[in-house]
Order: sequence, then structure tokens, then C-alpha cells
Amino acid sequence: MSRSHRIARDVLVSLSAQRSRVLLMVLGLAVGVAVLSAVIVIGQGTRERILGLVEKHGLDMVMVRAGGEVQVFAPQSDRGLASLLEADARAIEAEVPSIDLVSAVQNLRGINVVYDDRSVVTRAFGVEPGWLAIRHRDVAEGEFLSESDMAAMARVVVIGVKIARALFPEGGAVGRTVRVNNDPYTVKGVFIELGTDSAGIDDWDDRIVVPLTTSARRLFNRPYLEQIVFRVTDVRRVPEAAGRVRDLLAVRHGIGPGQPADFFVREPEDVEGAALEASSTLSALLLAISLVALVAGGLMIMNLMLASVAQRSREIGLRRAMGARTSDITRQFLLESLFVALAGGAVGVVAGTGIAAALGAAGMASSRITWVPFGVALAACVAIGLIFGIHPARKAARVDPAAAVRGRAA
Amino acid sequence: MIDVEALTRLYVRDTLETHVLKGVTFRVPRGEFLVIMGRSGSGKSTLLNILGLLDRPDSGRYLLDGVDFAGADDDRRSAARNRKLGFVFQQFHLLERASALRNVTLPLLYAEEDSGDATRRAEQALEAVGLAHRARHLPSELSGGEQQRVAIARALINDPAVILADEPTGNLDAESGREILDIFRRLVGSGRTLVLVTHDRTVAERADRILVLDDGRIVGEEAAPSPAAGARSPAAGLA
Repeated sequence: MSRSHRIARDVLVSLSAQRSRVLLMVLGLAVGVAVLSAVIVIGQGTRERILGLVEKHGLDMVMVRAGGEVQVFAPQSDRGLASLLEADARAIEAEVPSIDLVSAVQNLRGINVVYDDRSVVTRAFGVEPGWLAIRHRDVAEGEFLSESDMAAMARVVVIGVKIARALFPEGGAVGRTVRVNNDPYTVKGVFIELGTDSAGIDDWDDRIVVPLTTSARRLFNRPYLEQIVFRVTDVRRVPEAAGRVRDLLAVRHGIGPGQPADFFVREPEDVEGAALEASSTLSALLLAISLVALVAGGLMIMNLMLASVAQRSREIGLRRAMGARTSDITRQFLLESLFVALAGGAVGVVAGTGIAAALGAAGMASSRITWVPFGVALAACVAIGLIFGIHPARKAARVDPAAAVRGRAA
Repeated sequence: MIDVEALTRLYVRDTLETHVLKGVTFRVPRGEFLVIMGRSGSGKSTLLNILGLLDRPDSGRYLLDGVDFAGADDDRRSAARNRKLGFVFQQFHLLERASALRNVTLPLLYAEEDSGDATRRAEQALEAVGLAHRARHLPSELSGGEQQRVAIARALINDPAVILADEPTGNLDAESGREILDIFRRLVGSGRTLVLVTHDRTVAERADRILVLDDGRIVGEEAAPSPAAGARSPAAGLA
């Protein structure tokens, strides 16, 4: 066993003989670590719940539709549908901050899709590759459209699961060639099953999707768009991003104040955004409290260690006389505070995650236990043990052994 | 073994200078039992701390086993304390919460190399001072004489050439004090060098030689008739 191992073991034996002092320091730090771990566990649970809601309801997506608000209820053929262009999408992408994905969207009903002796009539969408993530969709088989499909105006198609079942009852749609309005298209992927919405109108399993360039130049052969969709990086900034898009498009389309717009920006309902806001304020507050508690725990360790150094000056002198170097004394006291801090961290992290899990089970909070609170507690306790331990340890090393061993106090 | 020449030590507190040692010169050959006698404040404890490499002289020369540690760093001086020196104090300085056995193993903690079976060595050291049966006891469960014997076992565990004792019998009754001095005589008989400081004449009489220190200077030297070496053989007499 090396010298430092022997000293570490001696410290553990010493600590086990000073239970009440050690217990006080351990509990002092455990409180802060417990609050911190509970905040992390509940914070992660809340975050997961909100991300689930965002995912489910597309709360981070904003849609710009061609045609003004008043025209939404007008017959489709009467709307000012030629107002929205791909250049508008590129301008949004370039000029509005906190937006990370943008896709221009075209669509047209009554598209004929034929394979062998089977055929369907469905609605086709022309989209950009980012659309998949913006709409929180995914493909079950094959792949989604790529940038090179866009660049090549490729005749490729991703189909809804109902289309796949109708045309390929035996399966194996990916890689086959279907005829879309009489032109050959390769099936690149099949969407996961989404089901119809409650109204039964918007059936995303009965759709096909082609690259925007393909729809604009080949399939629909027109430049204007039905929609632009974009994703906002932070749910809380959706209203702000939507407002900026509104202003940008008004300028681009030459619409003055008070004039009716030829587009409509539809935001997701902001209820959950407010919930997220409230929960993040609360966790910031709790986080601050736990940091204060951690520092208080650290200061408590430092004070008790300083008192211990003063009380044990004879022991320090004795150890020096027995051959301990100043660095051995520093190491001894630093290890003491480090071990105590780690014990406090272990107690605190178990208590904190336990409390958070209990709150979660009681339905009073969303909790999710991961390795994160354990890692954070370990790092925090190592830091606290070293930061608040170094001063007492240095002080211990500076004890004059000659004076200490002569001390007459019993 | 110990060679001291013109040692001085000056303490400065605020602006007040105290000359504790004012030029002390003496030698201790290997295997000698030397007592340094002096009143409280004569500088004997300071001298012992310098001999123990716990303090440094302001001037003069000190060779321990032929080596001058004046310019040595803390690590080398600590290693020398660990290997070459054994300390015995008036207050025993045992760790209160540690068993006799663990107290005895303390110097092994700071040895350069692992000693192997520390427990076995500590048991042997305790046996050498007649305390093998008390190995698991805490200091508070031992008498003063027993505590000092534990401290001697601790001083012996690294097999040092020199033992330095500061009033080792000062806190003991006469009977226990005699037992401790008997142990010291045995150690000297087995070739160790012993330097003991005391103000007690009856303790000094067990030594091979006595130096009398007063006000930081050696003012007298005498060869004492020690019971082991001399008392029962009057021929030892004065040098």
C-alpha cells in the first residue's frame, strides 16, 4: 500500500471514530444536495412532460397560410392563393431569429397514384426536407426526402400508410415505381401511422409527399405556395417569432397598417408555453435555494474543520514528529473534508431523488430519475470538499510542530 | 551520533527578542544515555526540538548520524524524523480515539515504504514494553505509566537509532516513572542513543552523563552513576 493510500485509510478510520462531528457536517451538506437533486429530478420530469406535449401538439410550429384571415371561410377557389412564394420562406429563414427550420409547402388534391392494377386518388404535398422535423412526423420504412432530391427535382415520393396498404397489400413499397399523374416516381419511404384527427378530415395516412422543387416544376407546375411552416427553437418565443414573421411578410407584400393581409399566421395555442414559463421560474428559484444551501453546507464544513484543526494541533504536531510532511497533513485534512462532502452528497442525493420520486408518485410533480442528479451531486460535493477544505488543510499544515507538541493542554 | 556545535536559537515575538539558546556545543556517542537537565525556561525543550528536527537553529551546526539537515527541505527532515528518531513526550500525545495498537502503528503511516504487516510489528513493539495484553484498549482505559509505555512502543516501531524524551516521567508517579526509566535503560543497553531532558534530579541519576543547561548555555557536565550501568557497580563514578 502506498503512502497516500495508507493516509487515506487512516483518515477513514479517524472519521469513523468521530461520528457526531462527521454526522453534523454530512447532514449540513446533505440538505443542499437533497434540494438540488430534487430540483433536477423534477425539472427533468417537467421538461420531459412539456416536450411530450410540444411533440404531440406541435407547439413549436408556426404555419403561415396563403390568403387572409377573412378568406379562410371563403370557397377555396376564391382565395388569393397566389400570394405566398418560396422567396418568402427564404426571407423568414434569413431574417427571423430563433427559427431553426423552415419549409415551404404546396398541396393539391385529386392526384392519381397507380401501381400495377391498383390506383388511389389522394392529396399530394410538395415540401422541403426540414418539413419532417417541423411537423414531428417520421418514416416507418425507407427514408424521407433529401436536399439532393430537392436539387435534382427528383421523381421520388413518400407515401402515407393507407396509400401503402392500398397499393402494396403485400408490403415492400420502398423502391417500387408508382405512377403519379402518369409520371413514374420511386417510392422512397412510408410514413408511420398517424391516424385521423378527431374531425376525421385531416387524414395524414392518406397523403403523398414529394420534393417542393418536383411539385413546383413538374407535378403542380406553379410557383406559389399554400403554406410556409417553421419551427421555433424555444416554445416560449413562439409568439415573438410569429409577430416578426407577420411584420416581415407585411413589408414584403406591401401591406400597410390596417389593410387586410393576404396571408394568415397561425400560432399554436400558448397555454403550455405559459405552464413552461411558470415551471422554469419555479425551478430557477429552487435551484438558487439549493445553491445557497450548498454554500451554507460548505461553510459549515469549513468552520467545523477549522475548529477541528485548532482542537487537534497537538495531534498535528505529533504526526509531524512521527515523520508526517506538511503535504501529508494537508492531504489528511483535505481528504477528511472530501470524504465528509462525498458522504453528505450520497445521503443528499438519495434523499432528494427519493422525495422527488415520492412527489411524482403522488401526482404532485413530474419526476424522472436519471444519472444526472447523481453526477451533479458527485461533482458538486468534490468541488465543495476541495474548495471549503483547502483553507483548513493549509492551516493544519502550517501548525508549528515544535510548539504543538509542547502544548500543555490535555 | 549527535554532534552539536555553537547552536543558537532566538525567538522574536513582536519586538521582544528572547535568546533561548546562546551557543550550545556537545556530542552524544552512539549508545549513550544523556540527560539534559535544566530549570523551566533554560532552553532544554527548544534544544530537544532542534535535535528532533522539529525546529531549526538560527546559527551553529547540528549533525545527526553525520548528516547536516540544516539546509534540507521539509520532506527530507520529515523522512529523517520518521526513520532515525523516536519521540517520547511528557503528555504521551496518544490519539484519544485510537486503540493502543493503532497509536503504535502511527509512524508506519509516514514511512517511505510499506512495512508489510503493521499490526504484527505493533504487537511486537507493545510486547517489548510489556503491554501486549492491552493492545485493543483506548488510552483512556490505560494508566499513565501504561500510556507512556504505548508511546515508547510507538517511538520504537520504526527501529530508530536515537530516542528523544521530553520529561517522560513528569506526569507519572514514582513507581511508573521507574518502570519507564528501566525500559529506557534496556533500550540503551541494546545500542540505542537516548537523549532525555528533565528538571528532575532522580531521573538524571539514571543517565550515563548529565549536561546542565541554564539560561541557554551548558553550565555543567557530569557522569552520573546510573543504576544499571553504575549504581550497583560503584566503580563507574565520576569521570
